[in-house]
Amino acid sequence: MDLLAGIVAWFLEPDHWQGPAGVPSRLLEHAAVSGGALVVAMAIALPVGLLVGHTGRGATLAINLANLGRALPTFAVMGLVIPVTAAIDSDLGFKVYPALVGLVILAIPPILVNTYAGVSEVDRDIVEAGRAMGMRPSEVLTRVEVPVALPVISGGIRSGAAQIIATATLAAVFGGPGLGRYLVEGYAQRDYPMMFAGVILVAAMFAVVELAFAAAQRALTSPGLRSAALEGTSQPARAGASSS
Amino acid sequence: MRLSRTLALGASLLVLLSACTTGGGSKPTIKIGSDGFDEARVVAEVYAQVLEANGYTVDRAGIGLGTRDVTNAAIESGQIHMKPEYLGSGLGKLDPGKQTNSADTNKQLLQAILATKGGGITVLGYTPGEDTNALVVRKETADEHSLATWSDLTAVAGDLKWGLATDCPTNPICAGALKDAYGIDTETLDLTLLDACSTPMADALKAGTIDVAELCSTDPLIITEGWVRLEDDKKTQPAENIAPIIRNDILNQVGDKAAFQKLLDDVSAKIDTPTLGELYKEVAVDHKDIKDVASTWLKAQGVIK
Repeated sequence: MDLLAGIVAWFLEPDHWQGPAGVPSRLLEHAAVSGGALVVAMAIALPVGLLVGHTGRGATLAINLANLGRALPTFAVMGLVIPVTAAIDSDLGFKVYPALVGLVILAIPPILVNTYAGVSEVDRDIVEAGRAMGMRPSEVLTRVEVPVALPVISGGIRSGAAQIIATATLAAVFGGPGLGRYLVEGYAQRDYPMMFAGVILVAAMFAVVELAFAAAQRALTSPGLRSAALEGTSQPARAGASSS
Repeated sequence: MRLSRTLALGASLLVLLSACTTGGGSKPTIKIGSDGFDEARVVAEVYAQVLEANGYTVDRAGIGLGTRDVTNAAIESGQIHMKPEYLGSGLGKLDPGKQTNSADTNKQLLQAILATKGGGITVLGYTPGEDTNALVVRKETADEHSLATWSDLTAVAGDLKWGLATDCPTNPICAGALKDAYGIDTETLDLTLLDACSTPMADALKAGTIDVAELCSTDPLIITEGWVRLEDDKKTQPAENIAPIIRNDILNQVGDKAAFQKLLDDVSAKIDTPTLGELYKEVAVDHKDIKDVASTWLKAQGVIK
């Protein structure tokens, strides 16, 4: 009960909402690191996943390499890359880049694997139909495979983003920015309300991002692929017609 | 079955032990123990070799035993007779928050508590060297700003990037001491909070992320990287000099108690902070054999042949 009151008091303290250590700037830092890592991970994993899924070549290699990334502890990655990144930039190379590298490696596997799985498992009849209509391979990919696979691909990005947001707190161990500062400093200073405030803020950011993804996923999914229950009856029939 | 055998073994050991000790050799077997980390182990080994060179039999089974929780229990129960103890941390363990910046005060307070433990434990003379919180800078930073002491930092505090312990802002002997004794307000510093005495703290100093790092005064990297340890000239940090502590029952079995104490006190007097750092570094970084490290140093000091 004391802890609960302490957490409430922590959030009500005006000092905790301003300045470089305040909630808005820590949230912004966390979002910047997480967002940056997600964008880089997508830039690497999406093209590879699409290519491998589309051609079916190199799938085993790509998937296994990606899964190897899942086994690498992010903390170890950060520690290992510090000598390299710190040589490039003594400040950001120590406090931010190691976390970015670790988070990118963390998020590549779910995005890559889902993209590959989504594309490679598109109904062959639909792909054949696209070809029969005279589509070039690139058109088959962008106009048939990607739209059909989009829910699966976006699921991969969502799961990558979730892992990034939780794990980005590790940056604070190396003096980095973000919500992890509340966890690391709260622990060291035995300030448990501060620690729990950090946990709550991470969870809140996670929830907001999940909701945003859910909305984006709905908006981006081709009308022809939405479930009949949600969208009425006529449109799914159109997708069915084009494949026959 | 098993229990009875253990008991039988224990009983026979007890008989054996009492036979040895009451048998009245003036130089009983000393069971030396230590905390688990390399610095404590090598200091324990130094004491062990000094005693051996003077005719005592030493049992080293307890060297590197574990954390202070373990070694305190071991010495109180008589599993070990003697161990090197850090005056500040040892006192803080038994009476939290009572550590002072004076080695003498810490020794007296520690002695008062230990007198009541395990049938009485005596704190012998302490080393001038200590392993305490240190502010460390790179050589070029020290040269550029002519830094030798913490007081030298006051004028240039704003020009430097600081790495202090994560709990520093709320710790009276960190932010409080810097402000009150040195006039350095941590709230105005370009400050990165990292674990004190940790690899990230050392790496950040190495990389130039920070210019001033809070490390332990005997951190091997201070030697290997050629860094400069600044002197806490206003004596704000707890005194962490090392003293052997020994059970009174074994001390009373020693024939010439004064000579025994002098033996250990004399060697303790030779262990200054650079020595402590060097011994620690040779074990932890160079991975040299702990016995060789201790004997080489003792020979160089002319303590043993």
